[in-house]
Amino acid sequence: MSTTQLLFSEKVRRFVKRNGSVVIFLILAIIASIFVKNFFALNNFLTIIKQAAIPIIACLGITLVLMTGGIDLSLGYTLGLCSITVGLLVKGVGLPIWLSIFITLLVGLLVGFINGILVQVVKVPAFIVTLGTGYIIFGIAQIVSSGSDINRLPANFRAIGVTNIFGLNTTVLISLIICVVMYYLLHHSTFGRSLSAFGFNAKAARMSGIKTERLNISVYMICSFLVAIAAILLTIRVNCAQPTMGGGVYTFEVITGAIIGGASLFGGIGTVIGSVFGVLTIKVLENCINLLNVSYYTYQAFQGIVILLAIIFENVKNRRL
Amino acid sequence: MKGLKISKKNLLIIAIVVALFIILGSLIPGFLSIKNLLNIVRQSSIIAIVACGMTMVIIIKGIDLSVTGVLSFCAMVNGLLLLKGWPIPLAMLAGLAVGTLMGLFNGLMVEKLGIPAFITTLVVGNVGGGLALLLNAGKSIGGFPAPYVFMGNGTILGVPVSNYIMILFVVVTSILMSKTRLGVYIYAMGGNETVVKQQGISTATINFFVYGFSGFCIAMAGILLSGQLDTVHPTQGEPYQLDAIAACVIGGVSMLGGEGKVYFALIGALIIGVQRNALNLLGIHPFYQNIFVGIIIIVIVALNIHQKRRTIEHSKIF
Repeated sequence: MSTTQLLFSEKVRRFVKRNGSVVIFLILAIIASIFVKNFFALNNFLTIIKQAAIPIIACLGITLVLMTGGIDLSLGYTLGLCSITVGLLVKGVGLPIWLSIFITLLVGLLVGFINGILVQVVKVPAFIVTLGTGYIIFGIAQIVSSGSDINRLPANFRAIGVTNIFGLNTTVLISLIICVVMYYLLHHSTFGRSLSAFGFNAKAARMSGIKTERLNISVYMICSFLVAIAAILLTIRVNCAQPTMGGGVYTFEVITGAIIGGASLFGGIGTVIGSVFGVLTIKVLENCINLLNVSYYTYQAFQGIVILLAIIFENVKNRRL
Repeated sequence: MKGLKISKKNLLIIAIVVALFIILGSLIPGFLSIKNLLNIVRQSSIIAIVACGMTMVIIIKGIDLSVTGVLSFCAMVNGLLLLKGWPIPLAMLAGLAVGTLMGLFNGLMVEKLGIPAFITTLVVGNVGGGLALLLNAGKSIGGFPAPYVFMGNGTILGVPVSNYIMILFVVVTSILMSKTRLGVYIYAMGGNETVVKQQGISTATINFFVYGFSGFCIAMAGILLSGQLDTVHPTQGEPYQLDAIAACVIGGVSMLGGEGKVYFALIGALIIGVQRNALNLLGIHPFYQNIFVGIIIIVIVALNIHQKRRTIEHSKIF
């Protein structure tokens, strides 16, 4: 009797430890359902999923970067640059849609490549590199767009993100596909295992034959690539290409999602499911703040407090001595 | 040998400044006028004050990314209290206390939980930014009492009051870093934290002091900025994050820790101020200025790290 109880409690403990963000998400959702009017409705849930779909894509990117022990502070600005790039190419230049998207994704890859090279080869700390490139990218985005937005994008371009297939928005579907791919990449491939090893101990990883240079650079490239996809989808969603889209606030939101999802700040640890639920948790919070009709500015301050709690929780959980 | 190297570097920085002035002075009409130069030093004082704290933080291998949020938040607290009719010293004290507390919190997170400085300061900065927006529902405030605006904009003996405050900060920080035991410990901690711990020196005191002082400096800069502009805007602090780091980096504060002088950070701040002013006079948009500053930071840090690594390689016997 007592042993089974122990086992059960042990099971619960392990589940909580592994899927902290799922538990946080469920607790928050239950509390919100009880206390927040209009929260518990199918429509509202769909809204939350729609709102979360795009940040989840970017969040999976930053999860990889955090797993290497680095950080990408240029993420939000890359989003802005990719947004204005795709907007300009589709509407301003009038290139075919597939080509515009292709070029935008290349821009993303290029940004990631530069970040990766600076971090891995030139050995500048990641937060300095990405802080610097962030401002550079922001400047470039503003110059390219001469500071103005591009509205009313062509309908066939918008169709990529707003069509419904089987009752689901294509944006959500794309996000889902990316989650599955990333799940495979992170948890069922050599790449994922190497990444984890690299994050825990870069030297040991290199000595055991992992090509760490290539790995680290490719992580930054994947991150910016995913951000470029997120930028295209977000541009479609708001029907407006803006150089100021994203920015520091977006970077912070995405990092918060990853950290609530249990990605370690010291590298090595990170899961796809955790990060997905991390973003969902923030979006539930945002949703509640909207429904309660509280000033949106509360959200930003609140987010900071949530991330602090997540960090402290994480730290107590796996204390490093 | 080492002393020689540093003095060479110092000479280089001074030579660059002089060259910059001569080139800009001959290129841009009105650049060398007394009025413009005073304007530059007044504007640079904000960067310099933030850089005082930032120098210390970078010396202990940290970084303070909370400038944007904390600067705006402290200025907002101070400004709102002023408008409520609080006496100026009391309102300023409140603003400074808020900044110091936020800095101390950074110190706490770094010391007790071992969280990387860039994360905790980023978070605290974002909380500050959110609170600055929240306090006055995202609106600006202005119309402060005359003596307060005088502190930002007035001059005594032809020199802006802001610069007296700036000089006070730089001198106090310099003395603290070079003449006191705490300063020695701070340099030692940047050089080798393990040795500092083995010597029985409390790293907690150093972390709390350094991050707290950085918060204090940021708050002071915020208050001074609100005096200069006679307004507080909730996102006012935005340019100063990058500028302060750039000032330190240009002034030769090493990102690898343990190295750097406050008065060279002051020169770095002046260079940034001159750069912004000159580009403005030339009619170059701020977008380009950010790109410029971003590139400068990355290049200088990369060079510094490259040089350091070469020194270490050379000193290895095997």
